[in-house]
Amino acid sequence: MLAFLIRRILLAVLTLFAVSVLTFLMFFALPRDPATAMCPKNCDAARLERVRDELGLNDPKHVQYLHYVRGIFAGRDLGAAQGGHCDAPCLGWSYVNGEPVTETFVRVVPVTLSIVVPASVLWLAAGIGLGMLSALRLGTVFDRLAIGASLTGASLQLYFVGGVLLLVFVYTLKILPYPRYTSILDNPWDWATALILPWCALAVLFSAVYARLSRAQMLETLSEDFVRTAQAKGLRYRTVVRRHALRAALTPLVTTAGIDIGAALGGTVITETTFGLRGLGRTAIDAVKDGDLPTIMGTVLLAAAFIVAANLVVDVLYTLIDPRVRLR
Amino acid sequence: MSVVPLDVGRVGQTDTPAADGGPGGPIAARSPGQAVRLRLRRDRTALVSGVVSALLVVVAIAAPLIEAAYGIGPQDTFKDDLDRYGMPYGVAGGVSAQHWFGIEPGLGRDVFIQMVYGMRTSLGIAFAAALTTTVLGVLAGIVSGYLGGWADAVINWITDVALALPFLIFTLALIRPLELAFYGPREAVPGWFRVVVLIGLFALFGWTGTARLVRGQVLSLREREFVDAARATGARTSRILFRELLPNLWAPVIVVFSLSIPAYITSEAALSFLGIGMLEPTPDFGRMIFRSLNYLQTDPAYVCFPGVTIFVLVLAFNLFGDAVRDALDPRSATRPAR
Amino acid sequence: MRYRPVTALVLLTLVAGLGACSNNKRTDDEAAPDAGRQASGSIATDPKDSRGPAAEVPGAAKGGTVTVLRQSKVSHLDPQRVYSFVGLTASQLYARRLTTYKDDGKGKVVLVGDLAETPGTDVTKDCKTWEFKIKEGVKFEDGSAVTSKEIAYGIARSFDLALTGGPTYLQEWLADTPQFDTKFNFTADKTALPPGLSTPDPRTLRFTFARPHCDLPFAVSLPATAPVPPAKDTGTDYDKAPFSSGPYRLAKNEAGTRLTFERNPHWDPATDPMRHQYPDAFVYEFGANPVTQTNRIIADSGADASAVSFNGVDASLVSKVVSDPALKARTLQEPTPSEYTLTINNNRVTDLKVRQALNYAIDRDGVVKTLGGDTVARGVTTLMPPATIGWKNYDAYPAGRTGNPGKARELLGGATPELVLGFPDDARNQELSTTLKANLEKAGFRITLKPIAADTFLDETKKKNNPWDLYIGSWGADWPSGASILPVLYDGRAIKDGGSNNGASYLNAPALNAEFDRILAMPVADQLAEWGRLDEKIMLEYAPVVPLYVDVMFTIHGSKVGGVFIDSIWGSVAVTNAYVRP
Repeated sequence: MLAFLIRRILLAVLTLFAVSVLTFLMFFALPRDPATAMCPKNCDAARLERVRDELGLNDPKHVQYLHYVRGIFAGRDLGAAQGGHCDAPCLGWSYVNGEPVTETFVRVVPVTLSIVVPASVLWLAAGIGLGMLSALRLGTVFDRLAIGASLTGASLQLYFVGGVLLLVFVYTLKILPYPRYTSILDNPWDWATALILPWCALAVLFSAVYARLSRAQMLETLSEDFVRTAQAKGLRYRTVVRRHALRAALTPLVTTAGIDIGAALGGTVITETTFGLRGLGRTAIDAVKDGDLPTIMGTVLLAAAFIVAANLVVDVLYTLIDPRVRLR
Repeated sequence: MSVVPLDVGRVGQTDTPAADGGPGGPIAARSPGQAVRLRLRRDRTALVSGVVSALLVVVAIAAPLIEAAYGIGPQDTFKDDLDRYGMPYGVAGGVSAQHWFGIEPGLGRDVFIQMVYGMRTSLGIAFAAALTTTVLGVLAGIVSGYLGGWADAVINWITDVALALPFLIFTLALIRPLELAFYGPREAVPGWFRVVVLIGLFALFGWTGTARLVRGQVLSLREREFVDAARATGARTSRILFRELLPNLWAPVIVVFSLSIPAYITSEAALSFLGIGMLEPTPDFGRMIFRSLNYLQTDPAYVCFPGVTIFVLVLAFNLFGDAVRDALDPRSATRPAR
Repeated sequence: MRYRPVTALVLLTLVAGLGACSNNKRTDDEAAPDAGRQASGSIATDPKDSRGPAAEVPGAAKGGTVTVLRQSKVSHLDPQRVYSFVGLTASQLYARRLTTYKDDGKGKVVLVGDLAETPGTDVTKDCKTWEFKIKEGVKFEDGSAVTSKEIAYGIARSFDLALTGGPTYLQEWLADTPQFDTKFNFTADKTALPPGLSTPDPRTLRFTFARPHCDLPFAVSLPATAPVPPAKDTGTDYDKAPFSSGPYRLAKNEAGTRLTFERNPHWDPATDPMRHQYPDAFVYEFGANPVTQTNRIIADSGADASAVSFNGVDASLVSKVVSDPALKARTLQEPTPSEYTLTINNNRVTDLKVRQALNYAIDRDGVVKTLGGDTVARGVTTLMPPATIGWKNYDAYPAGRTGNPGKARELLGGATPELVLGFPDDARNQELSTTLKANLEKAGFRITLKPIAADTFLDETKKKNNPWDLYIGSWGADWPSGASILPVLYDGRAIKDGGSNNGASYLNAPALNAEFDRILAMPVADQLAEWGRLDEKIMLEYAPVVPLYVDVMFTIHGSKVGGVFIDSIWGSVAVTNAYVRP
């Protein structure tokens, strides 16, 4: 188990390393010169050169990369124009936001978490519930309706659903406030009422996916030998389903769910844009549009870290819940 | 364990770290072509959705013919039919015998012909992207599954990296430098170039799902007798890979392919939503829907026509893909864009 | 599995039902709205004008919270770095300046002293030495007095290259070079003052310039002259928590999302000629796009009933707003001073006839319709926007509202010039340039469209050797005088290899350059008419650009907000008179 863990963690670190190198290289492909962002209105070549020097843009690329990585682990000294010393984990200083990238993260990550965590609970519960039930009632009207609804849901566009939800509940019926982020610690009621629309929009789309997935899993499990054996032993159908089939059918869903949630934590760009929220996704998109390189780099790394971590967690979780898994 | 382009529609395959045995399924092992055809013909949903999909594809392909018959081109403007706020005169967004679906507010173009050409762009990108990702994925999957060892480890790791890269941010960042690299500053960038770039980016990020699926399949197949037999007769590796293994992979590959088409239609629309899709004046479905959403209250017909059409398009492909999958293998699904 | 997509059909019918018919009849059209306010302005000569308190707003009440909705965040709060419309208007709440405008919202503006007792004294009558007497009783948010020292310190810190973003007029005029940081190093000695700036006593601030700058009273109305106590200066962090001298102070800064301002108890209305302190708080909220802002304010529920949209009614919702009298009563509409031109690269398009033909060819009505109609844009034919003091209306190339392609062809004499049009690749400019291409090709031009990344567009077009012939240009003047428009955009001596401060037309006519110098040396009051005359001369003799349109601000506010208006200087929502109806 330990060897397995260590190998997986090493691999994850290696993956993050590759992502960081790729992102760093992508910087230099961008048409925007980061130095122009901090040069005053009448910026001439000589002054631009001084700015480039201060930003360290004249260093060889690998040196710049090493500085960046050292900043993450040990902190680094940035120029006075960049807020002076930057403590570890230092992801650089953003001119556009006028603050260290980590400070931006402290503000926007809770927003994304507040969207994704409740929404994923909602979509998992609704999706898996619907899928399991329709599998157990295969061929009934309920099954057909459920599967029809889930296909419809999966064929809708998130921004379309979002737009209609806003029009109905916020602008016309006026029973919900426009989504706006309030910390759950400040006021849980405001937090929930304001975010319920994004949760629902995400849940409509994703529960559709999980309903179809879990229905298929359940059908397959029910046809497997051990279920038939259990029934042959004289166990009641309900007991078989509850004790054996359910667990076996849910296990593979853990993988899918883990990765979906991991990816969502890296930023729910379309949800945030539709509902005017400012989480990690919008921050990343705005950063690319503004040519805000340190923020782009930071968001890419963080998003990648979420995905890699989700992968790791899923693998470990899997070995714990599925007795059939051998560790290699 | 796999996902295709992050955030934008992905074609996922559940497959577990250890379940390398994978879901071959009894049907796939039999003659796949016959079984699929038989099952599909018996399935009414499959039939209807298949016909609808085919019809829409024909409309997209025949766009220039439709233009000729309809008498209005995608760039023709009818500004005189707009009031001073840029809203079309008449009922339901200017629907008339001349303009079947009305005209676009502000821009004054015919909605119907924009949609016909927009569908051409969207479907073109979706088909090409699905095809490229499938080919890439199958190649990577076969090589990694059959060779194992170092090749497997390296390909797996590359897959991990590709999965961890945020698709949207990279697309956003790479599109313009690519255009700068290929075209001079005074040259017009033709509409097809961005189409190619988008397909390329989808391919770059989208092959991982198929690769993982195929790898799993190959891992179980390579221990089978017929492969051993081929090896025993001294067949070259390439022959074993493509003559012996590939024919046995058709079933799952077709499923992934057909389900990734609606996913890419959605993804392409999502890119337009973020302002990195196709540019004016190339007609584009996603951009049209995104623009029309603002008119939800003032010109609902303008939202309705493209909105319902893309819904029907995606639904038809989803239903058809689902039916194919049901006929082949029950374990797969598409995921929406977040 | 044999399920029927019943649900899909139900949904389809539902959505189709949304499209239920409303007939937009052609006869519904009415005459265009009034031509907008006419700018008339002056510099206060009577010191009484500069004294407080400001006249009460009829019907105003105390209390409540006014919310301003805006799409993107304010880039800077640090008064020395503020330079965006939203920053300039929002900073009125917390940053007082040497001078400011009394604005009736109908185009009549008077430049008055804000921190200063008068809008400046030209001591030597040659615009080279200026003095400002600071009012008594002006205080910071901690109750300490504002003196000339803190104002001078504020100007000094704007020399720090780490604090970029703001205007550079004062720095360049004091240092007498655009490379102002080579003449004064703020970080080396923070107690020193830049050359030419002095504080003979705590109530006097003196500027001494090497060359005449008659526009100084206007230039010091920018928040860069806001006072900053040296002890409170936190460098780059000052951007997050500026120290207030105005009627409100920053209570909470949720960067990128929300700014909350609360009353500043130490602000004395008796010293302030134009600000009020009616609401308990102001909130600036960022993130909602114009469509969302409009929808929220139309819904008028909760806090949105006392909200105002900064970005204005989206073009897609205008017809809904104007067709409902109750909603229309909550709107404000004025043309802004932000003017857009089809800028011609005079380095490349050297033939005057071609530039004139472009002017004849343009269909301004088509342009305005593409953008969304009268409530979004208004066609112009002058280089200065109508909101400029001293504006003179003329049309150098009369071609009617929809252009005269025939006349343009005639000028071209059968030639078909191939021109490349560069534009920022956002949705609005994509649509605009597609329209322009169709329009110009009717007159015989061959146009290639070239999208340029919106974030780098300005930098790219400001490169002298840029490869494009035409581009969409825009300019919002820093003060409503021709002096901050014509010399800034058309003085050829400001052309540089990169970062040209010349509107990117690259016009360089020695005769014009001399005209600029001549007019700039005149007393401000005499300049105004001269600029109007010069405007027409430039268009007739050089045709360096094609004037297209000015932005129109058409915005909506909640039913409980009163006193908001579109200010005459920036064309943005001004909040200094705002109040909440009980």
